[in-house]
Amino acid sequence: MKRIRQHPVLEIPENRKEIHFFFKGKEFWGIEGEPVSSALIANGIQVFNIHRRGDTPQGLFCANGQCSHCTLIINGLPQKSCITPLQENMEIFPLIHLPEIPQDDTPLENYHKITETCDVLVIGGGPAGLTAGIELAKLGYSIILVDDKTRLGGKLLLQTHKFFGSIEDCYAGTRGIDIAKKLEKEIRQYPNVKVYTDTAVVGIFKDRKAGLFSANRRYIIVDFQGMVVSAGAREKSLIFPGNNLPGVYGAGAFQTLVNRDLIHSSHRILIIGSGNVGLIAAYHALQAGMQVVGICDILDSVSGYKVHADKIRRMGVPIYLKHTILSAEGHKTVEKVTIARVNQQYQPILDTAKTFKVDTLLIAVGLTPVDEFHDMALDFGFNVVKTGDAAEIAEASSAMFGGRIAGLKMAQRLGREIEIDPAWSQKADILKSKPGKTYPPVSVELSKSFQPIIRCDEEIPCNPCTSVCPVNAIQLENKLGNIMDIPRYLADCTGCGLCVLICPGLAITLARKIDDRHAEVILPYEFIPDFSVGDKIPVTDQTGQFLEDAEVLKIRFNKKHKTHLIHLRSALENGTRICGIRVQQPAVTKPLPRPSYHYIPENGIVCHCEMVTVRELVDFIKEHNIHDINQLKQIRVGMGACGGKTCSALLPAVFRMAGVDWNDVTAGTKRPLNVEVPMFALINEEISE
Amino acid sequence: MTNYDFIIIGAGSVGVPLSFYLAEKGMSVLVIEKLQSVGRGQNRAAIGGIRATHSDPAKITICRHTIDIVSRMEQTYGYDVDWISGGYLFPVYQEKDEVALKKLLEFQKHFELNIDWINPAEIEALVPGINTEKLRGGTYSPEDGSASPLKLIDAFYMLAQQQGAEFHFNEKVIGFETNDTTISAIKTDRGSYSAGIVIDATGAHSREIGAMLGLDVPVFPESHEAGITEPVKRFFEPMIVDIRPAPGSTNYYFYQNVEGQVVFCITPEPGIPGLDCDNTSVFLPQIVSRMVALYPRLRHLRVRRTWRGLYPMTPDGFPIVGFTREYRNFLLATGMCGQGFMIGPGLGEILAGIIVDQNATDSAILKQLTLYRSFSDEEMLK
Repeated sequence: MKRIRQHPVLEIPENRKEIHFFFKGKEFWGIEGEPVSSALIANGIQVFNIHRRGDTPQGLFCANGQCSHCTLIINGLPQKSCITPLQENMEIFPLIHLPEIPQDDTPLENYHKITETCDVLVIGGGPAGLTAGIELAKLGYSIILVDDKTRLGGKLLLQTHKFFGSIEDCYAGTRGIDIAKKLEKEIRQYPNVKVYTDTAVVGIFKDRKAGLFSANRRYIIVDFQGMVVSAGAREKSLIFPGNNLPGVYGAGAFQTLVNRDLIHSSHRILIIGSGNVGLIAAYHALQAGMQVVGICDILDSVSGYKVHADKIRRMGVPIYLKHTILSAEGHKTVEKVTIARVNQQYQPILDTAKTFKVDTLLIAVGLTPVDEFHDMALDFGFNVVKTGDAAEIAEASSAMFGGRIAGLKMAQRLGREIEIDPAWSQKADILKSKPGKTYPPVSVELSKSFQPIIRCDEEIPCNPCTSVCPVNAIQLENKLGNIMDIPRYLADCTGCGLCVLICPGLAITLARKIDDRHAEVILPYEFIPDFSVGDKIPVTDQTGQFLEDAEVLKIRFNKKHKTHLIHLRSALENGTRICGIRVQQPAVTKPLPRPSYHYIPENGIVCHCEMVTVRELVDFIKEHNIHDINQLKQIRVGMGACGGKTCSALLPAVFRMAGVDWNDVTAGTKRPLNVEVPMFALINEEISE
Repeated sequence: MTNYDFIIIGAGSVGVPLSFYLAEKGMSVLVIEKLQSVGRGQNRAAIGGIRATHSDPAKITICRHTIDIVSRMEQTYGYDVDWISGGYLFPVYQEKDEVALKKLLEFQKHFELNIDWINPAEIEALVPGINTEKLRGGTYSPEDGSASPLKLIDAFYMLAQQQGAEFHFNEKVIGFETNDTTISAIKTDRGSYSAGIVIDATGAHSREIGAMLGLDVPVFPESHEAGITEPVKRFFEPMIVDIRPAPGSTNYYFYQNVEGQVVFCITPEPGIPGLDCDNTSVFLPQIVSRMVALYPRLRHLRVRRTWRGLYPMTPDGFPIVGFTREYRNFLLATGMCGQGFMIGPGLGEILAGIIVDQNATDSAILKQLTLYRSFSDEEMLK
């Protein structure tokens, strides 16, 4: 069974009910209520259906209810398995081509309309939506907060790492999963807040109403005065041959499987994209006991925070910059992936190809805001604000702050005379900041007592180390005058280790001189140690260079931070250099001795719902002189279940390939429904089970 | 000023096929369209039904041509436009509807249309699982069918260009120059053109165009909402039209297209006048409850998308086609009352024959559809 049985950070619930289900008539077991897709992957089943175009196998892709890759026949009906909870004795079959409609001829006996009224409809219960809802609830507005997942928290639920930012504004140093619990508890205190989980907004209508699809069976029409769109972001996709193979999915989908559903979904992973999402996904994979052969990015520098990248490199994951993906290949699922260096024009240099044997390829090439409801509401002239990733892609720390501001803005729109502290906007802007300058390391002289060695040398919005120090021994340099500044150690360290424990970048160690030849170093460690006191373990410098095998002196576990502090004895000269413990040996990440791949870039899929390749699209655009995305519907682009959510971010590149200036292209029209809804649900027909 | 034999205003369901048939006869044709590409007015909103079984001679003649053209589109021109000859079925549950449809049947048979009354068992064979309680039978016309509006208009667009027709998109007609009884120039936001004959094929916007010439063209758009489901294996054949009224609506209709998706549309009552094409929350529960009551099996289908389109209505429910008396070179081909998609191809072919070849066979159509009729009759199946 492919389930995570132990995890350094996540608790494995003990009271989960194991139930039986059937796939193709064969009996399997899963956890009651988990998504059917997760139950299947836990049983090693990756191919969910065979697409009618090209007989292509498909599996889990977005894990977010947005696409329809994961459709299966569940109890006789086609269902998206990633949002269908597993129940006892479910009969599951793969979907081959088109589904057959069940011959259910029971006459329609009763149906009804369910309506609700509220002051503000909040779409999305992630960090921004929860904080916006809390602010509005405090002011006494009636709120309906809708989230399409079973638990509130949005992407916070997937974030097992500690947060950047500042403690007083956004719980910096706390893990996302714990922040989600706090915010959920807070919002549920208000009697004027009605929370609908497992509920998707499927449309915004001109008569100032929204249609909600709830619990896979109800359709609720909500009348509202104002709307907060905090629906988050969706993952961008990438065009390359093999991009539709089961085993290729978004980093967010992966985190959902691993961190939320506790599925040991993969053995070996390659990641495309070195932004924070890709870097963190690598870390999460390692924590869940998977191998990460590398991270590949077409740019010449890491896109995410340097502290994240350094951390990943220290663990033993190479980052291939100026590299692109050539292909993902395998029989039915991913078996190997090939990358190559790119030239100045970002074209691959085939001589440099490296093939890795992996079973999973994660795409982490950025996010796009889910803001179509906002735009639609604006067109209709409704009171609407957007916040969080729906407004601008940024860290959850900034989303929590932005959400509060958005809540107050909505109150203003609804006529409440209320001041928004201008300092809030400044803080929100800083929390959104991209990394700034990088500074050279400061040389440190070790003494007999501990002092922090800080490898936080790039300007990022983060300062919890300065807040937790009981003697204020760490302060930000005053260059920018805000939390982007670099932390510096001043004096008087007590060796308490709080800074080591709280640093989200694992960028702080404590070190002291033991004698003329040895130093003692204290490192944070967010894994379950597979070593004991007295063992020698491989340690590296800041960016992952092996330094020595250092002796473990002591292992302490801090329950609050779920972090180990590992005391090591090293060579004196390494005392200031040791920064991390290698968890993955170099042999693990080696490519195959010889590259082995087929490079046919025009076979990459653009429209995953309808399996339209780049070649088909480019030919059609040229032949029919297309300058209007709506015209692509003829070849089914945008006509699939997702309504263009996956392909729209890819189309600019496709039009460029066809020689059409993107500025001359008319955008596709967005229409409801956002998610497919069965007719029985639209009329709230009582279906007996 | 560039001169053309024909200038067609509007690259929609009517204008585009017409441009092809005119260009095919060697005429120089310019099509001026204010939107960004073909069919972005109401063609995009059509659900795809095509029937010849109407209740008046003109539409019967025109749509017979259309079926002939569309059913042979692939064979003749190499364009697959998703034609299916699934037939049209009007299931009947009320005595008064039976009386009315049987009366219409006599008229339709007089035109040798392939349509007949079928019994409930025959209906069940065509639509397995349809609600048979109180089902009295219905009319069925197996030669009617459906095609993809997107693909059909693009095929005509490609064909028209191959014949030399020119298309100007994102260009808006802002006025006309006239001398006495002819239009001497068309002015747009980008230039001026002259033409032997100017054709108004602007559908919902014909009143605006007419007003520029001081003409009252009685076309009043109303909006109708439509939707489409996920694709499933083919499970019923015909376009089903339920003509019973219910609170808030009159008839509604649906069929399963080539992809396997069920496409549906309803006629609101009272009508919703105007050009607004934004969805409201009323539509889905309204039509879905009616569809599932008629055909319970549909309950498990998932609705994928909804949209609104305009029915350019005339006072009597029939199109307005023909030359104006005020301007001898101004031809109206408008007011298709929501049937532009099925009328367009046949009408294009017939009009090109009448105008270019002076073909008199079908000229009765122009008499029936003239602007100068009394508009006092009422189309029974509008």
